[in-house]
Amino acid sequence: MAIATTPPPVSAASPLAIDAANLGVRYSLRFTKKTTLRQSLGQVFSREAAEPFWALRNVSFGLVRGESLAVIGPNGAGKSTLLQVLAGIILPSEGSVEVRGHVSSLLTLGAGFDQDLSGRENILLAGAFMGLDDGLVRQLLPSIVEYADLGQFIDAPLKTYSSGMRARLGFAIATSVDPDILLLDEVLATGDAEFREKSKARVIELVKAAKGIVLVTHDMVWVEEYCNRAILLEKGRVVVEGNPSEVVRTHMEHSAARKAERAARLGSAGL
Amino acid sequence: MSTTSEAPAAFRHAASRPGPLHSLREAVDDITSRQRLVRYLVAADIRRKGADTLLGNLWWIMDPLLQMGVYVVFVSLILSVKTPDYPLFVLSAILPWKWFTSSVSDAAGSVISQEKLIKQIQFPKLVLPVAATTAGVVGFLFGLIPLAGIMLLYQHRISASLVFIPAIALVQFLFTLGTALFVSAINVFFRDLGNVLRHLLRLWFYLSPALYSMSTLDASSTFQHNPVLRTLAHANPFAILFESYRAVIYGKPDGSPHAPDLQSLVLLLVASILLVALGAIVFKRLEPSYAKVL
Repeated sequence: MAIATTPPPVSAASPLAIDAANLGVRYSLRFTKKTTLRQSLGQVFSREAAEPFWALRNVSFGLVRGESLAVIGPNGAGKSTLLQVLAGIILPSEGSVEVRGHVSSLLTLGAGFDQDLSGRENILLAGAFMGLDDGLVRQLLPSIVEYADLGQFIDAPLKTYSSGMRARLGFAIATSVDPDILLLDEVLATGDAEFREKSKARVIELVKAAKGIVLVTHDMVWVEEYCNRAILLEKGRVVVEGNPSEVVRTHMEHSAARKAERAARLGSAGL
Repeated sequence: MSTTSEAPAAFRHAASRPGPLHSLREAVDDITSRQRLVRYLVAADIRRKGADTLLGNLWWIMDPLLQMGVYVVFVSLILSVKTPDYPLFVLSAILPWKWFTSSVSDAAGSVISQEKLIKQIQFPKLVLPVAATTAGVVGFLFGLIPLAGIMLLYQHRISASLVFIPAIALVQFLFTLGTALFVSAINVFFRDLGNVLRHLLRLWFYLSPALYSMSTLDASSTFQHNPVLRTLAHANPFAILFESYRAVIYGKPDGSPHAPDLQSLVLLLVASILLVALGAIVFKRLEPSYAKVL
């Protein structure tokens, strides 16, 4: 089904927008996930050190300006963690990352909205959170409102919104600021079919405007059609990097192999 | 084209620990560069508290009065302690205490309640407890309305000393902010701090001269035989604050209002500033872990 009209690789002569070298992110499992005082004290006193967990290890890649990079891989491979590191939300525990340009990163759309504020007020609040100049946000406001296409709901509190409306507003905000680098996490799957088409069009527009994009998605058709390059992450490591259709093929083979292995395991367990 | 206030190029490497002075400078930068965000958050907070209930902001006025009523019934009717003008006596402690507890518990939840946002975008997390603490001031300002009402019932206690209230409130604000920074940061790592906090605060209230005066404590035999305990009780920040508010609002049971003990207030001011600085350093130190732990 996949139409193999992969865009040509962008010339490597343009400066790198993202330069990641040997990235590693370690989670010490001691404090992660809702620890209560009792559990933590228990861990402090029990001698065994909490086992570190590497969500990412030895990840190196460069994003050329104007390139659209897809990050694919099974669940829990570290895709979202990678985006968080690129956005500066998580500091690398190892290695370094250099990001040249303004980053916009509504990773999971609309999750950070204030339920009691109206859509319009949330746009101002989100702009302030993103560190945008207030004058600029007010200037962009009409176009965001128009793009989100919420009608009179724009002045209603956000708790009255459907999840699709919320996603629309989030996408409108994230892409309104003309970022140099756009980080997108599974956003192409949100909203109704009509909005999916619209957001696809907007992303293509951004790609064409020579902005760097790093995209986490399970939509393989999109990867082959619109991305210049792809990275396959498995268990926090880069398995293969390069031409999207080849990477997608490897990913398909690996997931088929995992499926077969699981089936074999279930079978040998006598089920 | 510079559209954001963030540096256009960011280089991040495996975290090297910044020094305390560096953290402090960063903390100041965080707040000064994001004043607009703090303002939006404060406005949203106030709106939320007012809009949720039918009577809205009226509750902010009623609440201290109802609480005052409870203590008046309990202390003067049941325990039959005879302090003249007791409603005013106790209200002068209830108002600052309500301000402190609501600010601290709001701040405690300020970081963890923005879990999703913290995982989505990079912004200075320090704005969260600062906004929560700042929004708390509005509650205190509303509390001055019932205070004015009650003072009209005891007109002989109205005096020029009331002008000290803003100065005392400033000291309390700084002390609250310092506490809030610690509490909001620690709550990320120990989620049951909120529960512990409720009980600690209640204990703190009863151990502080809110329902009784410091002179009553000093006169008790326990205190006269135990100078260490006495010193500790006098060093309690809320002993200083309650006594100061009471001095300017109520005075003494048999005397009119007077200036607060400025020496201990200044000491508390210095201590509070140090607490804010230390709290900011601790908060900044822990900040890189928030997105991972939440």
